[in-house]
Amino acid sequence: MSADLDLRPIIPAAIVAVTGVLVLLAQAFTPKGHSSPSSALSLAGLAGALFSVWLIGKGAPADAVLAGAVAADALSLFLHAVILAVAIVTVLLSPGYLRANGLERGEYYALLLFSVVGMLGLVSSLELVSMFVALEIMSVALYGMAGLDRSRSESQESALKYFVTGAFASAFFLYGVALVYGVSGSTSLERVNRALGVLGPDAVPLAILGAALLLVGFGFKIASVPFHMWAPDVYEGAPTTVTAFMSAGVKAAAFGALLRVFDYGLASLAGRWQPLVAVLAIVTMLLGNFAALAQTSLKRLLAYSSIAHAGYLMTALVAAPGLAVEAILFYLVAYAAVNLGAFGVIAALSRDGREPVTAADLAGLADRRPALAAALTLFLVSLTGIPVTAGFVGKFYLFNAAVASGWVVLALVGVLTSVVSAYYYLRIVVAMYMEEPVGEDPWAAVSPAAALALALSAGVTLLFGLWPAPVLTLARLAGRSLF
Amino acid sequence: MDPQAPNLLTLLVLLPVAGAVVIALTRRGSESLQKLLGLGVSLVTFVLSTRLVSVFRDTAAIQFEERYAWIPAWGISYHVGIDGLSLWLVILTTFLTPLCLLGSWSQIESRVREFVVFMLLLEAGMIGVFVALDLFLFYVFWEAMLVPMYFLIGIWGHERRIYAAVKFFLYTFAGSVLMLVAFLVLYRASGLASFDIPALVAAPVDPALQTWLFLACALAFAIKVPIWPFHTWLPDAHVEAPTAGSVILAGVLLKMGGYGFLRLAIPLFPDAAVRLAPLVGVLAVIGIVYGALVSLVQPDLKKLVAYSSVSHLGFVMLGIAALSTTGVTGAVYQMLNHGVSTGALFFLVGMLYDRRHTRLISEFGGLRAVMPWYFVVFLLVSLSSIAVPGTNGFVGEFLILMGAWTFSPWMVATASLGVILAAGYMLWMVKRVFYGELSNPKNHGLPDLSAREATVLLPLVALTIVMGVASPLFTRRIEPAADALVRQVREAKQPGPAAIASVPTPAAGEVPGAGGGPVAGARR
Repeated sequence: MSADLDLRPIIPAAIVAVTGVLVLLAQAFTPKGHSSPSSALSLAGLAGALFSVWLIGKGAPADAVLAGAVAADALSLFLHAVILAVAIVTVLLSPGYLRANGLERGEYYALLLFSVVGMLGLVSSLELVSMFVALEIMSVALYGMAGLDRSRSESQESALKYFVTGAFASAFFLYGVALVYGVSGSTSLERVNRALGVLGPDAVPLAILGAALLLVGFGFKIASVPFHMWAPDVYEGAPTTVTAFMSAGVKAAAFGALLRVFDYGLASLAGRWQPLVAVLAIVTMLLGNFAALAQTSLKRLLAYSSIAHAGYLMTALVAAPGLAVEAILFYLVAYAAVNLGAFGVIAALSRDGREPVTAADLAGLADRRPALAAALTLFLVSLTGIPVTAGFVGKFYLFNAAVASGWVVLALVGVLTSVVSAYYYLRIVVAMYMEEPVGEDPWAAVSPAAALALALSAGVTLLFGLWPAPVLTLARLAGRSLF
Repeated sequence: MDPQAPNLLTLLVLLPVAGAVVIALTRRGSESLQKLLGLGVSLVTFVLSTRLVSVFRDTAAIQFEERYAWIPAWGISYHVGIDGLSLWLVILTTFLTPLCLLGSWSQIESRVREFVVFMLLLEAGMIGVFVALDLFLFYVFWEAMLVPMYFLIGIWGHERRIYAAVKFFLYTFAGSVLMLVAFLVLYRASGLASFDIPALVAAPVDPALQTWLFLACALAFAIKVPIWPFHTWLPDAHVEAPTAGSVILAGVLLKMGGYGFLRLAIPLFPDAAVRLAPLVGVLAVIGIVYGALVSLVQPDLKKLVAYSSVSHLGFVMLGIAALSTTGVTGAVYQMLNHGVSTGALFFLVGMLYDRRHTRLISEFGGLRAVMPWYFVVFLLVSLSSIAVPGTNGFVGEFLILMGAWTFSPWMVATASLGVILAAGYMLWMVKRVFYGELSNPKNHGLPDLSAREATVLLPLVALTIVMGVASPLFTRRIEPAADALVRQVREAKQPGPAAIASVPTPAAGEVPGAGGGPVAGARR
């Protein structure tokens, strides 16, 4: 069989897409008043896709298939696994949350699955136009998910804001693609890479402009300053499980594509875009952390924290490509587990459209729900970057990459803003452990599925903090596969 | 690995962790069981740790060494071992923890399970810091320990506990993160692709770079010690912490700062250490005098003890800055003394607080009449704190002043002022609390030491005397390691021209072509 016709690498995405259609069909054929088996079906599909990723990983390696448009390398497989795991945890968190808040709708799971298809495409595209299509599949499904709660104006606002800024970002991205095509004569990353290596001097400014526009497009998706304004409102307004999924999944998918485009396609321009990325990283770390200080709403706080973490992740982009990929991949795993966990705790407590809004709402949680409070503390400690959590190992990796490339200043800003972040993360811990509970416990009982999801997140956070070697090995393999 | 005690150090770290996990799984309501389990685990840990002393050989070599690959991709290994500098600090930790658990037996009433769990995790973290021989491992223990201490202050502390807990956390965290960056820069500059401390000590580092790295590490350790002017978190943390927290904080945690200088900052960056020693010395002397003067005017007993710590630890830092065998030996010995005597003082102040719920000196007077045994113990410990001959404090401070004489007679003279002031603030406080009329009616009929309290204090009092009259028992194990350290620093001070590897530092913005890890060459 010719390598071009080897369809194995798209099997995981195909499984997820078919599951999405099945979920919609099941919803349509379920009589009124009966609940459709959407979540179980989604779970089965995602687990099947994850299993297929494992099988592909075991089999003979294939570099690129479908006329070089789709990668089947270790980087792609690694991120496939991360995204599918994120989706599985989200699905586990969802039924309890949706039921407690009267949001049970089959299209939720279908949109989630379609969004996952987009993410999987995004991390395996080796061609800019298919990358754009994947980006849109992911985003359009997410716009719908953000606006799921039609009864709340915040949710509608969230969807609209996300849509408008997202469309704006797509335009930048497309313009960047056009310019890169203009100078290189191709949208295939491999050919772009080759063409830029032998670029004439008059074409360089155009290529740099194209790179800058692509950076703007990605900047929106990863929520880096100054393209971050949408994040707090969208994170706050969207249903919390959607926020959890967005913060973990979109970041992983967008960074995967970013690495491919910049550390492979535009690698020969690295000297030009790296200073730009460094400046953005510094501004993002500073603004994300200092703005988070001023937040009272937990979800907004976590939104700014997610902006800050985009900044930490960007610090590794200045490193040599292999090192950058390794460091970013590891951090994405750590970050996904922690963010799913943190938003998951809020979602798990939410009931009748009410959820813990401020730190004060969590006062005395350690007395009422010791396990939940301990889990949230673990996630916050990991976000701060304190051992023995995966967040610490991840930050160590990122800053090591920055220092190894001579960018000590990035590491310095990174660690000092981490100290700032300790203050606002600790505030939540203070409320849970050191303040007295007020009144009755108003929060929902945690569903078994959500408990499993939180236990998985906590387990990953602790396990990879103590024993990161296996993930590091895989990340290193992925880092080498980029070339 | 020592054939006589295989994996002993690992066992000492893991035993408290295992105990903490088991206790965390017990139910609420079985408080006595949780306390007993905690005390039992910490006592077993202590008994096991005494094996270190009996097997230890009086050489400078690292002993009880264990090494396993941990994160091979980064050259990180689980590497532990102890020498004369760390031996007694490990023992001090295992010795004080059971006393703290026993001492807070009836004080801690709420969330006993969490309290015991945090105490045991803290113990594991502290032992880990003293035995780690890998920078990454060291940092993991160093930072991980912040979390249980933060909870101890924040949950079981006094009125302003949340403020003190957050301040403690942020202050020490801010200091340590710069150290982390220094570790990363050193990792790259050494070219060894390893975080192993002995290997890095042997590798020469460019002197200009050393200065920066030394300063970054020194800041982390200076905050922990604390050296003036980085001490402001200490009075808050000490005063607001529950008694067990204060004892551990003063007894062991502060020692991690001094130990950090001896294990990392000085041997890794010997050239910078020698150049910057006068700076450290001056700050230490300022701390000695400043801490003593501030102690003099404290109306609150616990604050007085807290500020006296600043003064006492100034002596430790002076001994370290002197970089002579006697000075370093004295510094390590003084760290032990301070752990014993200040630990005892915090216990004593806590016992008084349990009875009267106040720590203001003006509330007391004439207590000698109602609490004679308490008075005797208090006086003895105070004398040790003043460094009266025959007590442990004398030996430590004498060694330090003697060892620092060649370093700077001027500093020694000023530091001696601190000894005199110590006598002033301690004896004046003893006079106001114990002598005179029993004027305050609330103090009538205060009970004397209970059997449990006496059990807590007895080992500390015994050590005060033993360490005062039989100091060679301890110092002969410290001295070889101190000597080796001083020798290493002195030799590194005069390196041959070939010994200094130049370190490439690419300018910001430049894209490095190499040195970015194993795949760096693959860039096109």
